[in-house]
Amino acid sequence: MTPAITTTGLTKCYGKTAALNDCTITVPEGRISALIGPNGAGKTTLLKLLAGLSKPTAGQVTVNGSVPRQDPAFLAEIGYLAQEIPLYRRLSAEDHIRAGAHLNPRWDSASVRERLAALNIPLDRPVGKLSGGQRAQVALSLILGKRPRLLLLDEPVAALDPLARRNFLGTLTDGVAVGGLTVMLSSHLVTDMERVCDHIVMLSSSRVQLCGDIDDVLAEHKLLVGPRKDTTAIERDHYVVQVTRTPRQTTMLVRLNGPVHDPAFQVSDVSLEDIVLAYMGEDAPPARAAFTSVGDDQQ
Amino acid sequence: MTWLVWRQHRIQYILGAALLAAFAVVIVIAGDQVAAQFHHAATTCAAGHGCEQLGGLFMGNKVVGFLVIATLGAPLIVGLFWGAPLVAAEVEAGTTQFAWMQSVTRKRWLTVKIGWMMLAATIWGAVISILVSWWSSPTNAEQLNQFDPGRFDLVGLVPVAYSLFAMALGIVSGALLRRTLPALAVTLAGFVGVRALVTLLLRPHYMSAVTTYYNVTRGFNPAGAFWSLSQGVLGPNGQPIAQINNVPYFDGIPQTTLPASCASAANGNGNPSGACVQALSHYRAFITYQPANRFWAFQGIEFGIFVVLAAALIAVTAAVLLRRDA
Repeated sequence: MTPAITTTGLTKCYGKTAALNDCTITVPEGRISALIGPNGAGKTTLLKLLAGLSKPTAGQVTVNGSVPRQDPAFLAEIGYLAQEIPLYRRLSAEDHIRAGAHLNPRWDSASVRERLAALNIPLDRPVGKLSGGQRAQVALSLILGKRPRLLLLDEPVAALDPLARRNFLGTLTDGVAVGGLTVMLSSHLVTDMERVCDHIVMLSSSRVQLCGDIDDVLAEHKLLVGPRKDTTAIERDHYVVQVTRTPRQTTMLVRLNGPVHDPAFQVSDVSLEDIVLAYMGEDAPPARAAFTSVGDDQQ
Repeated sequence: MTWLVWRQHRIQYILGAALLAAFAVVIVIAGDQVAAQFHHAATTCAAGHGCEQLGGLFMGNKVVGFLVIATLGAPLIVGLFWGAPLVAAEVEAGTTQFAWMQSVTRKRWLTVKIGWMMLAATIWGAVISILVSWWSSPTNAEQLNQFDPGRFDLVGLVPVAYSLFAMALGIVSGALLRRTLPALAVTLAGFVGVRALVTLLLRPHYMSAVTTYYNVTRGFNPAGAFWSLSQGVLGPNGQPIAQINNVPYFDGIPQTTLPASCASAANGNGNPSGACVQALSHYRAFITYQPANRFWAFQGIEFGIFVVLAAALIAVTAAVLLRRDA
């Protein structure tokens, strides 16, 4: 089965600054992938490259088995929702549904109307007069109505209050339940994503820090707590994401490459949020470990 | 795509059509009045009771006359209110990201949008031109000043080309600047600037002007409503005679260089004497002009210039939008 998304060395520069640098990821079909990263990490850049809205400076990108391009067949399989939730403010939801029917080959008007009716969103009111949460729901329902194979959502819940956020993600999971759909949604918050996602891509400082199924990520990453001692043996065998040293204790978040042999260290599970935060605190490329120190023992 | 374009812009289209309809009603009512006045004046003229009414600057209602002159600015309405926001407003609202992620290529989106807008601009220009041409046909029948900017620019083919140009200019400024307000300013300045440049610098040279030399005593007038570019008098050696203020002239020649008998003729005391006529025969007058029958050739050339400009601007819009990242 070909993956829904593959990128190799994908790079996008605006002027001299790289918004996305050497990004290599794979998202298998059917996953709901969380694209996590701090503001300015390159999430929007990556999503636009995947949608074909912008062209890469270097590297390859394959989406649904083909290179993103201006072609009705390619566009029909992609649903992209920009962060600004772009809709024609003076037009109603019904107008948007009819526009979608004119512009898409596999359009499903009935499901969009049904979904919006279930949410009590008026179809005849200009969308500019709806609340932010309702607008986001309209936009998401429209994109699901297009029946794409890949859904790309850029910070869809960032502007929503907690209730609207839950409703939105509910609509999303219902839509995905139909099957055959791969989703990538970006956010800078891990907690929302953890509930609905089974795959994660983490960007920081324009680079990929992490890419994989969440279960695998959780299994690979462990917290090592032990006495303050030399840790070069562990650094040699595993990839140390973050180290915290106090006068008496060393705490390390590591990505394991096998079992930990040093009995001095206690190994425990760590939450996805902690893993993500550890990577965010880390600005170096993933090939090299960097250390952060807290406490009175500054290096 | 057509459905979306219509749904998005239907208020503009309806408003535009309403404006045209209102203008048509005013022109048709006023046009009848002008026709009646013209008929009356023409009959008076034919009966030998004086033709001065025919040369009247304005016929009919002065307000309508002003409205007709104001149609010089009509292309700006489509350029500013339809053209400039066409791409800019969508980029500002982010709705390009909605349109470009439907199963429709950007190229098709642009083609359909621009296509309908250019068609609307054509209709706008054509209807106004037809109405104004019809309204002013009685005065045009006098064959006066048909090359004047206040007349040439209002009738025939050129208003259509101006509309297309203004629309294309609005679209391209909106696409390049991505913001409506600066695009409006550029459209306004660009349209006025290009129109003024073409009118003042290019139009007189669409075809090489005709220069006719003639004897000052006989006089010469080209046929019909010609366009005079320059005229003057050449001395016995072929040198141009400078026209200086406060010097008495006779047939464009300073009286001081002519026999005294010319002065009395200049003051209206009888015909010039033989000596005067003899002296005058050494002078030649000339007129450089565009003949009246070139009117439609000039209309065609100016139409072509503005249509080519509009096409070039649309090509730039397409090149920019199809290549640029969203």
